[in-house]
Amino acid sequence: MLPPGTLTAVMLLTVVVGTTAALLAWRERQEPGAVPLTVMLAGQVWWSVFFVLEHRAVTLAGKVFYSDIQWLGVVVIPVAWLLFALEYTGRDHYVRPRYVALLSVVPAITVALTATDPYHDLLYLDTGLVTEAGRTVLHRTGGPWYWVITAYTYLLGLLGSIPLLGLVRSDSLPFRGQSLGLLVGTLAPWASNVLFLAGAVPVPSLDPTPVFFAVSGVAYLGAITRFRLLGTSPSANHRARRLVFERMREGAVVVDRHDYVVDMNEQAAEILDVSPGDALGNPAAEVIPRYEHLPEEGRASRHLTLGEGLQSRQYDATVTAVADFHGRSLGGVISFHDVSDHLQRQQRLEVLNRVLRHNIRTETNLIYGNADLMDAENGHVEAVKEGAMRIEAISDKARDVIDIFERGRQSGRSLALRAVLQECIEAVREEHPSVAVDFEFVRNDDCADGAEIAVSPVLSSVLKNVVENAVEHNDAADPLVGVRATCVDEAVEIRVADNGPGISDHERAALERGNETPLEHGSGLGLWLIAWGTEMADGDLTIDDREGGGTVVTVRVPRVVPEE
Amino acid sequence: MPRESNYASDVHGATGRTGRIVELLTAYGERAGNALVYSSAYLAAIAMAEVAIAMVLLSLPPNPAPVVVGLVTFAVYTNDRVADVDTDAVSDPDRSAFVRRHRDTLYVLASVAYGLAVAISVLGGPVALAVTLLPGVFWVAYAADWVPSVAPHFRRLKQVLLVNSLVVALAWATTLTALPVAFTDAAVTPATAVVFAYFLLRSFVDTEIPNVGDVEADRAIGVATLPVAFGVPATRRALYGVDLLTLGLVAAAASAGVLQTWLAVALGVGLAYSLVVTGLLGRVDNDALALASECEYLVVATALVGPLLLL
Repeated sequence: MLPPGTLTAVMLLTVVVGTTAALLAWRERQEPGAVPLTVMLAGQVWWSVFFVLEHRAVTLAGKVFYSDIQWLGVVVIPVAWLLFALEYTGRDHYVRPRYVALLSVVPAITVALTATDPYHDLLYLDTGLVTEAGRTVLHRTGGPWYWVITAYTYLLGLLGSIPLLGLVRSDSLPFRGQSLGLLVGTLAPWASNVLFLAGAVPVPSLDPTPVFFAVSGVAYLGAITRFRLLGTSPSANHRARRLVFERMREGAVVVDRHDYVVDMNEQAAEILDVSPGDALGNPAAEVIPRYEHLPEEGRASRHLTLGEGLQSRQYDATVTAVADFHGRSLGGVISFHDVSDHLQRQQRLEVLNRVLRHNIRTETNLIYGNADLMDAENGHVEAVKEGAMRIEAISDKARDVIDIFERGRQSGRSLALRAVLQECIEAVREEHPSVAVDFEFVRNDDCADGAEIAVSPVLSSVLKNVVENAVEHNDAADPLVGVRATCVDEAVEIRVADNGPGISDHERAALERGNETPLEHGSGLGLWLIAWGTEMADGDLTIDDREGGGTVVTVRVPRVVPEE
Repeated sequence: MPRESNYASDVHGATGRTGRIVELLTAYGERAGNALVYSSAYLAAIAMAEVAIAMVLLSLPPNPAPVVVGLVTFAVYTNDRVADVDTDAVSDPDRSAFVRRHRDTLYVLASVAYGLAVAISVLGGPVALAVTLLPGVFWVAYAADWVPSVAPHFRRLKQVLLVNSLVVALAWATTLTALPVAFTDAAVTPATAVVFAYFLLRSFVDTEIPNVGDVEADRAIGVATLPVAFGVPATRRALYGVDLLTLGLVAAAASAGVLQTWLAVALGVGLAYSLVVTGLLGRVDNDALALASECEYLVVATALVGPLLLL
């Protein structure tokens, strides 16, 4: 039991802390949430001040008067708390005059009932003085409206705590500190109010809630100073995330764990040709075509075609699973990326390539066949035939490039690296028996698990071309090519060294630039094929001079999960 | 000669130590003085003296009113200086620099001081609380930038001729008179009205004197004061008039028996001092004059306490 002097001292301390915190919050009034926080703290101070005056009054009329006046502060607190929580967490679109007015209806009725209390029993059924522990205190029995405003206060308190609870889970220490400070500041007086309503306080007629507002004041002050409450505000976070969702070029649909549509952006509504109002709350299968064929997570294997005829568009559909803190599934986000233009360009390229290659091959065969019939010196005939063979080789390279593009689109496929390398080396050994080709497959600690080393399927053409280049262009007297594969962490490094003439600087420069000009270009498609293929396999390509002459081409690519 | 060299070094050492101590004391003293003047803490001390004078004039028993008024004065003036730090850079660059450097600390101190004042005033009952809250309302209304946005035609009180000084004087006179009365539950008598009128007139003079030094700054931000509107000589004459009016009030109160003669004499000493200060208006350094004007209550307090000490 608190002696009267101590209780007054504690209450006055509440006033000091509350007033200080209110003035500090008022200083930050440009920051989101600062004005409602000031109002809330002012409400707390008001309640505490008149609680002291009620406590010090000696007559029943005096105590009743101060008790009634306290309601002004009491009813302001929950409204200001909710507005603060909404504004502070970036949901300020709810903080509009009409909503504030709506929220203030119940508090206004309460104040009106307080002013007219002697004429009805809605707020209090009974009012009188009782002596408890040697102290005369006001005893009032709550009427029906008392419980309405109590329930309303708790409801708004709960609603305000929800967005702030989200911040407690924030990764950012300042936001966690701020919201913990705010929650402690809010829970302390409410917990004491629950105890008061349950009759579990030492003096049953003495509501200790304002006393615990001292705790609130300290918590809020701590949040303001220690965690820079209002100086560092997360309000932009919520808005920014929403903006990213709304403004992203991809369509995005959010589905819950029961496969119902819960959110979608404007792009998704346009792509799926639905209105968000109609789609939200409906089963995803009714809104998204071929929904049942989408994977649990990741990119769909087939493009989704939407629309009819010339208006049809193709989309890459990707599912991103959403899980809660404990890893339980909450649903997912399905994003639609428009690949129509890309596919159209690829189709055109394929047609052009096929027509060109077909025609080149046909015409080359014609030249080759007719060369023997030419009435010319044998040397010239051979030159014509070699020229025709070179044209055909370029055509084959072009086919390999298309092959790489095709393989690159096949996700989930893999090739065994050792088999690919052995195949390439056997092929060149057979075709160029004069070149000594060494092959070494180093199994170090990084790949000691004994499993097969698998790589992207595009590596097949890449490695074939790297080894062929090293062999074909090697004009050394004693041509040598060394192939060495090594595991490095989660990647594999294939190093092909030769003692040939090396790769010219302008070809390397074109590769580094990523494009060719009429004056600076490569001698063919071979190097481009190697560069593009490595890039598609998420790898790195380096070309270095070999000590003692020649070139070292290193292809470093990530290992992939072997195909079953 | 080792002895000599030791002696010499001792002398130099002692002189050096003394020099350092003097230097440190000077530095700390200067800093403390600056903090006292620039932070408006000295105004709080003067305000406490004013309440004490009011209590003596009204024969009231000791109560916490001077403490509350001191805290409120410190809070309101410190906040005002923090709010006006940019405009003060023209009229008082040193003070502006001090306030700018300690802006956050000063604001927190002002907030805590006001919180303490409100809490203590609760012990004085609802009137004391209302009187204490009044400067808080002015705190917001006087300098807050949202007032014009709420009422577009509402000019800041600070910018209207005479109203600015009268509002400040009214707030002071109300606080100084009503607070000790409220704390002691004393009855409102003719003496209370006289004391209120006395502080109203004195506070008006105290508000207008510093305005002479702020003419350029006030004109720049559109604040209309007596020296801005009518010039310094006219202001001097007007303040002479107010001083003489106060003298007349005190004399009338004494002759009517509302105020004891020795109290009237003490107030008269203070008014004589004020006439001298007013006479120097525009003729000496304005900052020193403003400080001298605010010290009038210390003269009155000395005149009140001095004879008691002599007896």
